[in-house]
Amino acid sequence: MSRCICMMSDFFYPNMGGVEEHIFNLSQCLIANGNKVIVVTHSYGNRVGVRYMTNGLKVYYLSIKVLYNQCVLPTIMCNIPLIRYIFIRESVDIVHCHSAFSALAHEGLIIGNMMGLKTVFTDHSLFGFADASAVITNKLLEISLSGCNHCICVSYTGKENTVLRARVNKERVSVIPNSVDTYMFSPIPELRSTDCITVVIVSRLVYRKGVDLMAQVISEICDNYSDVNFLIGGDGPKRWLLEEIRERKGLQHRITLLGTLEHSQVKYVLNQGQIFLNTSLTEAYCMAIVEAASCGLLVVSTKVGGIPEVLPENLIYLTEPNVPELTRGLETAIQDYRDGKNICPYKLNNTIRHLYNWENVTARTEIVYDHISVEKMRTLKEKFSSYLSSGVWPFLVMVAFCHLFLIFLDIFIPQRNIDICKPFPYKNFENCRKGRREIT
Amino acid sequence: MKKRPWRKNLYENQEYPDNYTDESFLKDLRVNVHFQPISLKDSTLGATLIVHELCTVIVFVIIYVYLYNHWSEPNYIFSWTCGATLFCFVAYRTFYGSIRTFGYDLQTVLLFLVFGQLFSPILYTLTDTISTDTIYTMSFLMMIVHLIFFDYGLSVAVVSNSLSLSAVIFASLCLSSRLATPYEAFILMTVSIKCFVLFPLLRNKIKTSFLFTLIFVILVAYFLTTVSILMTYIFISTIIFINVVCPLIFIRFQKYKDNIYGPWDEAIVQSIDMTE
Repeated sequence: MSRCICMMSDFFYPNMGGVEEHIFNLSQCLIANGNKVIVVTHSYGNRVGVRYMTNGLKVYYLSIKVLYNQCVLPTIMCNIPLIRYIFIRESVDIVHCHSAFSALAHEGLIIGNMMGLKTVFTDHSLFGFADASAVITNKLLEISLSGCNHCICVSYTGKENTVLRARVNKERVSVIPNSVDTYMFSPIPELRSTDCITVVIVSRLVYRKGVDLMAQVISEICDNYSDVNFLIGGDGPKRWLLEEIRERKGLQHRITLLGTLEHSQVKYVLNQGQIFLNTSLTEAYCMAIVEAASCGLLVVSTKVGGIPEVLPENLIYLTEPNVPELTRGLETAIQDYRDGKNICPYKLNNTIRHLYNWENVTARTEIVYDHISVEKMRTLKEKFSSYLSSGVWPFLVMVAFCHLFLIFLDIFIPQRNIDICKPFPYKNFENCRKGRREIT
Repeated sequence: MKKRPWRKNLYENQEYPDNYTDESFLKDLRVNVHFQPISLKDSTLGATLIVHELCTVIVFVIIYVYLYNHWSEPNYIFSWTCGATLFCFVAYRTFYGSIRTFGYDLQTVLLFLVFGQLFSPILYTLTDTISTDTIYTMSFLMMIVHLIFFDYGLSVAVVSNSLSLSAVIFASLCLSSRLATPYEAFILMTVSIKCFVLFPLLRNKIKTSFLFTLIFVILVAYFLTTVSILMTYIFISTIIFINVVCPLIFIRFQKYKDNIYGPWDEAIVQSIDMTE
């Protein structure tokens, strides 16, 4: 069945991260299954307007100013004309929004809901309940999810978290994990050094990724093992900490800081090591450990958030998030590697391929789409009362205004005056490509 | 065929629909893990810290009113406050510090006296062009800022010692500029330093007690009656509100505390001390 899905998030290429990767890979698989997919995000630098990516994935870079942390100002009102125009022009059926941190995703949920489209939301992160900012964000999420048809979480811990903080009905929340392109992250054992063990770390160097733990573990291990080196990819505000440790202990030849990595480079960095270390303090899914395992590395990780759900016990060394435990975990991994207890990298890659692949993720997401497509349209009264259930009644004024604004737009820019966009001829494109391949 | 039991991982439950919710859902949820109930005595004692600072501000304002209306000799006020400060200083140094820093202390005092005397002539005409009402409003707002950002001994985000002190010094500068002579302006600035810089240092060392608070409040209330009876009533009701009603409300509302903890919480790590 062909439908048009609109992915909405503040986070998309050229920005890099788990959410971006998820949207891109999911879109590619949905296109391959015969769906029409467009992505709506805000502009990045001079990347404004419509762009086409691989296989005719159409991306709208809306000219909205970025406010903070790659997010737009959450006005709800201001972008209604633009977003409505896109929804009608592309004849969108399902609006799929990503990440609770993205203001554009929240706007998409509300506008999509008010326009009578089906909405899906994927939550990629965990959030606590302790401080004021968490209270406000959770309330916002509760408001925008009260109008949403279905939620997707990337792990069971994520589902528990979302159900608690946004008070969504648990039946309306599905768990569909992230995935990894195992063909891209394949082992290249000849890149590994033979005379020493290299521990690889690939992560943004920020507090949430546990850089403080990382620095202390590195200094402990370097003191006790003379043949263990560290290779660190990624950059961030806490980089100085690692540089300080390296400087102080005179370990310039053993700790290599690579800085920001291109996504295509990550594979080669991972393949230079035998052991992967992840020190995150909170994580909903953690793609990095799956990528590392897919390249055939032994994975040592903190036991936080959804990480224990991701890999079977024999493929990962889970430790409590503190220095002694992490050091012990890493020591066990080093010892096991020396004893030859590690699994053959190619075999490991194959195992991961069976656990996670994007086709499976896409099929499961399509089940969600099928499921909500047959849900009956909600009346205006039902929409309003669902927003009221969050208990923030002033918000209802906002939603009502949204509704009036949409009616106003229907009169002044009626649907019949908006050109319907032709879908990208994916089938022909694919046949052409195959044809050319056969000729060459 | 019997289904395999559901397990909390992301790769084994193909037989179950994606929105399946197991019975073990939310079994790791914990409520109020680090919760320590606070007794009525503790909360009331904590509230006295706010009362102390409020009283200090009022003492300062009373002294200003006395100076402004010439109700008492400037010299009289100066010698009394200096005497009290000297007494407190000696007590502070004998009990909590060493006498060795005496030379340094004397140097600071001399420096302040010289610069205070030098600048007070500028000070008392500084805001001649601005109306008295504006000055009073501004001082009031600055005092409020001072009270909000003052360090009452809790490590919370709003505490800012520098902002709190700057605000109150600004307020005292404004008020000194309303006085008639440079000498009076100088005295008011001296009193301000004593009240807002030195007095909190001393109070930090003395453990707060109900007796001390009571004496302090009665003294302030007595002097306040000489300024305005209405203000005294307002003052006393404020004190009752801060020191009796608020702690009671706090104790009552403690039972509504409902903090949720679970596996999604961020792990807490000790950040490294790089100064070692």
